[in-house]
Amino acid sequence: MSTLSEAVGPAEPNDAPPRGLWRQGLTVFCENRLALVGLGLFVLLAGVCFLGPLVYHTDQVHTDLTAVHLAPGEQGHPLGTDGVGYDQLGRLMLGGQTSIIVGLAAGVLATIVGTLLGAIAGFFGGWVDAAVMRVVDAMMSIPSLFLFMLLAAIVTPSAPMLILIIGAFAWLGPARLVRGEALTLRSREYVQAMRGMGGTGGRAVRRHIIPNAIGTVIVNATFQVADAILYVAYLSFLGLGIPPPAANWGGMLSDGLADTYSGHWWLLYPPGIAIILIVLAFNFIGDGLRDAFEVRLRRR
Amino acid sequence: MARYLITRLGQALIVVVLVTVIAFLILHLLPGGAARATLGKEATLEQLAAFNHEMGYDRPLIQQYGMYVQRLLQGDLGYSYQLNQSVVEAIEQRLPKTMVLSLLSTLLAVVLAIPLGVLQAVRRNRWPDYAITALSLLAYATPIFFLGLMMIIVFSQVWPILPPEAPQGFTVAEVLADPAGLVLPTATLAIVTIAVYARYVRSSMIDNLNENYVRTARSKGLSERRVVLRHTLRNGLFPVITLLGMYLPALFSGALVVESLFNFPGMGQLFWQAALKRDFPILLGVTVIISIATVVGALIADLLYAAVDPRVRLRGSAT
Amino acid sequence: MSESIGPTARHSTPAVNAAAGRPLLELRDLDTDIALRRGTVHALDGVSLEVAPGQTLGVVGESGSGKTMTALSIMGLLPPGGRVTGGQILFEGRDLRSLPPDEVRRIRGVRMGMVFQDPLTSLNPTIRIGAQVAEPLRVHKRVGRAEARDRAIETLRRVGMPRPERIVDNYPHELSGGMRQRVAIAMALVCSPSLLIADEPTTALDVTTQRQILELIDDLREEFGMAVILVTHDLGVIAGRADRVAVMYAGRVVETAATEQLFHAPRHRYTEALMRALPESAIRESGGHDRLISIPGLPPDLSGPLTGCRFAPRCSYVSDECRTTDPSLVPGAHQHACLHPVPTPTVAVSGPVPAQVEPAAESVTAAPPERAERPVLSVRNLVKNYPVHGRGLLRRTAGQVSAVADVSFEVRPGETFGLVGESGCGKSTVGRLSVGLEQASAGQIVLDGTDLTDLTGRERRRMHRQVQLMFQDSYAAMNPRMRVDAILAEPLEIQKVGDSAARQARITTLLDQVGLPRRALERYPHEFSGGQLQRIGLARSLALRPRLIVGDEPVSALDVSIQAQVLNLMRDLQRELGLAYIFISHDLSVVDYMADRIGVMYLGKLVEIGPARDVVRAARHPYTQALVDAVPSITPDRAATRDGTTIRGELPSALDPPTGCRFRTRCPHAADICTTEPPLVGGLHQVACHLPLRPEPTSTPTPVQAFG
Repeated sequence: MSTLSEAVGPAEPNDAPPRGLWRQGLTVFCENRLALVGLGLFVLLAGVCFLGPLVYHTDQVHTDLTAVHLAPGEQGHPLGTDGVGYDQLGRLMLGGQTSIIVGLAAGVLATIVGTLLGAIAGFFGGWVDAAVMRVVDAMMSIPSLFLFMLLAAIVTPSAPMLILIIGAFAWLGPARLVRGEALTLRSREYVQAMRGMGGTGGRAVRRHIIPNAIGTVIVNATFQVADAILYVAYLSFLGLGIPPPAANWGGMLSDGLADTYSGHWWLLYPPGIAIILIVLAFNFIGDGLRDAFEVRLRRR
Repeated sequence: MARYLITRLGQALIVVVLVTVIAFLILHLLPGGAARATLGKEATLEQLAAFNHEMGYDRPLIQQYGMYVQRLLQGDLGYSYQLNQSVVEAIEQRLPKTMVLSLLSTLLAVVLAIPLGVLQAVRRNRWPDYAITALSLLAYATPIFFLGLMMIIVFSQVWPILPPEAPQGFTVAEVLADPAGLVLPTATLAIVTIAVYARYVRSSMIDNLNENYVRTARSKGLSERRVVLRHTLRNGLFPVITLLGMYLPALFSGALVVESLFNFPGMGQLFWQAALKRDFPILLGVTVIISIATVVGALIADLLYAAVDPRVRLRGSAT
Repeated sequence: MSESIGPTARHSTPAVNAAAGRPLLELRDLDTDIALRRGTVHALDGVSLEVAPGQTLGVVGESGSGKTMTALSIMGLLPPGGRVTGGQILFEGRDLRSLPPDEVRRIRGVRMGMVFQDPLTSLNPTIRIGAQVAEPLRVHKRVGRAEARDRAIETLRRVGMPRPERIVDNYPHELSGGMRQRVAIAMALVCSPSLLIADEPTTALDVTTQRQILELIDDLREEFGMAVILVTHDLGVIAGRADRVAVMYAGRVVETAATEQLFHAPRHRYTEALMRALPESAIRESGGHDRLISIPGLPPDLSGPLTGCRFAPRCSYVSDECRTTDPSLVPGAHQHACLHPVPTPTVAVSGPVPAQVEPAAESVTAAPPERAERPVLSVRNLVKNYPVHGRGLLRRTAGQVSAVADVSFEVRPGETFGLVGESGCGKSTVGRLSVGLEQASAGQIVLDGTDLTDLTGRERRRMHRQVQLMFQDSYAAMNPRMRVDAILAEPLEIQKVGDSAARQARITTLLDQVGLPRRALERYPHEFSGGQLQRIGLARSLALRPRLIVGDEPVSALDVSIQAQVLNLMRDLQRELGLAYIFISHDLSVVDYMADRIGVMYLGKLVEIGPARDVVRAARHPYTQALVDAVPSITPDRAATRDGTTIRGELPSALDPPTGCRFRTRCPHAADICTTEPPLVGGLHQVACHLPLRPEPTSTPTPVQAFG
């Protein structure tokens, strides 16, 4: 069966050994120095918060009114103590755990809810799409902090409750994004080609739409996490955060505000800087992931 | 164009109706309900039942919503027992002040963000671009109250040139009479906004600078200055108009925090205090009004965009 | 100063130079680099060219040859990372590289003008046309607003713009592509430059519009007495218009000569191969077809070091010397850089190399299709309307676009049916309807005796085995996240053909059939070149062993040399597997080469249908004739003897097509009777025209009325 009477010649791709898209994506991610910095920052902060307490033991339950407002270094408190005698470094670790867990969980929850609703709207189109998108429009017109505070005022805030509240209302962004992505992907020629072979809608979603939209979703999820951490901080500042003895960076920061005038700087800057660093970290990671997922767009 | 106008108005109307439904549902579906919220934790069951009956809260939800909308249309947003004031009155006092704060900071942000974003786009991937990008990211990652606090520390403690508290005037005129007090709240709110706008202007300008029409403009032997200012800037800035509308919810959220921090007597502070005291009529009223303000703002931005960009303006007549 | 021997001595073209004294523009050993993230591409390497005043220089080459980079280097418009690294750009005797930037800008704005490829994106969308056209005057000549407006109107009138006094106040998106290109030309000419550079000025346009624009540039050149550099990939465009031609390959000029000389007797083996790869070179006067002479392989990667002749790896006359020695242009009127040039006294180019002709290929068309055989596909009275939604709240239907209006044709087993027409004529919609990608508004699509429009979902899915679509842009038609093995397996999985071992075997066979190595299976689409992707696309459409493949512009995005490879492959597979094709293309010469029968579409209507040879050489419909006349040809005499059935004006909107004959608004022969709709009548060669250009040859047996 030699069809090729003609010398087709070296009609072959480049000679480098084939590499999977994930590998290529990883390479691109690693080429982005900021993304690596972000990843490093996240690993460092999470490591200190979750593993730190194993080696650095402090009492974060009982107040100690004999040791309030100690400056850093005094009586073996490297970062001093706060107004009720909690060790500030230990408290930062504890607060970091809450902030990171709530941020991650709320971000992931928002992404899952948003992705599902966006995909349904984008895939079914018609009145389903119209209904979902009008609700999204309406909820987006309510400034998110107002919405969160409305809810936080009704229910008693706790870490799981914050996750639910933020997760239940931060899905709007991902929903819009995924819907748009689904609409574009649905009209892509490779989906049409598949339909031309007799493929079903289900296959289009499974084999073509999800694998190509997943990158956008994951990238967006990292930004959602960053936003969720900020929201927790805002709610804490506005007095609707998680009540003590639980701690989170946002709450510590807003407690620290009261100490601005009394010169207890160690209560203010460490949680503030920690929040900035973790939010930056997730933004850097998100940017790096975006590049990594765009590998497929790079034609030679 | 006329058709676009009608479509856009219709959409806005639907959104406003949905906003009232959502706010209404949140308040009425959650445990405790409005009665407990209004009368407080000490109220007896009989008191609650009487209140519910009086307010019509024992009727079906649909009917209640109908009554709510009816009152809303008559300009009745309820009564705050805690403030001893009707909700409309409370909002009337504060909404204009929030508008002043939002407008001033938006204005400041636009005036600064456009040149910054253009500079970034023109000097892309060189140090001005990197520096502004880094600062934008930093501004974005900083909780706005932390940022505001640092402004207070720097400008009223270390270098005391500005008051740490916003003007406490009752009317807009009184607020404006104390410009020094407005500087820190406005600047705090503007900084985050600048970061967002500059990023957007940058990417919009870069997109446009890569367009073929820019190459055509260069082929006419125009100076780089003219290529950027006359050919690219307009096209790059048109989308920024819609961003102004889209950014409103975030702006109002920011105002909520800033007002609380600087003790600025606006809608945000009203809402904040109401949330702490569980003053539900105020919470609901403010949420609805601020959302309508958002919808109207976005509508104006979209219409403005449609009016100035010939590609949109003339499409209506073409089809 | 550069080398001692003046370039004028080397490049002497006595006739032109004597008249002008010295060249208007001269490039000497120009080097241009483009810095990319993954390395530096040496886009131009020692390019030397010259253009005399009033002369048209054609620069021709395939993608990546450096032809556009040459134009952009002259204009100083290189993309980011691009830089001229060596050589001189002498314009009116002064080296643009050594002049101050402001001076160069002025020269660029006043003395030179440039027209770009894509008229849809090269005008500023938010500035009125008058202001854009007049801008160079306002900036460089400080002309006042009112005068500038008058000059803009005047210039627009000279480029043939109807009602220019109104157009000046319009925005670009209110005009069609052809009209926008006229605006772009007006913009380039408003300062009366002495040099016009046109970079693929007609590539984005339809052939009939292309012809109008090329003629316009020609007329303006005479009128303004300016020189023109016409950059194009299309040899035919050059053959009809240029005085001299420079052929570029891989960043170098490989041959340059007077147009007639070059086309009659090319010397460089690349030029020769390029001309032979054109479908028109393989069509004999008899209408029979020879096999295309394709150029194997791909052009070299310009980011690495290159030794020897850059064409050597693809050249069939290559010797060891070619691989080591870097040939330079031999001086003279006809310069070429080839160690084994085509001998001078060549016979006409169109004569193919006999050894490579395969008689079998010819017989396909020679034998008239068997009438008795049942058609694979039979399309009857096909109609497709697209509703146009208003933007209102209820999205009421505001009207409908008539994309396909009452089209009927048949495709017989093993036959190629060509469908040709300009953009918007509905040919692609017919293709998509035929493979079931869209639902017809009315009419029947009978596939192997079964009416597709009657079938339910599952049955229709089974029918999909029989007919497959091949896309223009295979890259877009392949999921970028799937490897080639998954891409090829997909149709088999969907149709549940065989187990995984059987599928694997089938995939391997397919890859062999389209001539790709097995290693390709593990790669992703973005790792392949355009021609390779087209092969993979073809393999995928073959996977289910269909009887009919609908190719929607399957070679339109490819360079000529690659196009020939794919066309040959398609014909080979047709012969071997007994496939039928519907070959959809805007390019009449490709359809002419591929098809046994051709249908011509205009604005949703099939206006003419018949044997390929008759439709192209004895067109009966005035529109077909206009298409035939507009196709650029490399045979200069064919280019010369056009009788000029020029069609006027613009394509009407399909939203509100003309009543009666849809072509009558542009037809040179339109008469009163044309307000009634002409039926498609005739025997084997049917036409839908009240006043056909010629009667159907009587020799043709009159068949039964083809379609009921």
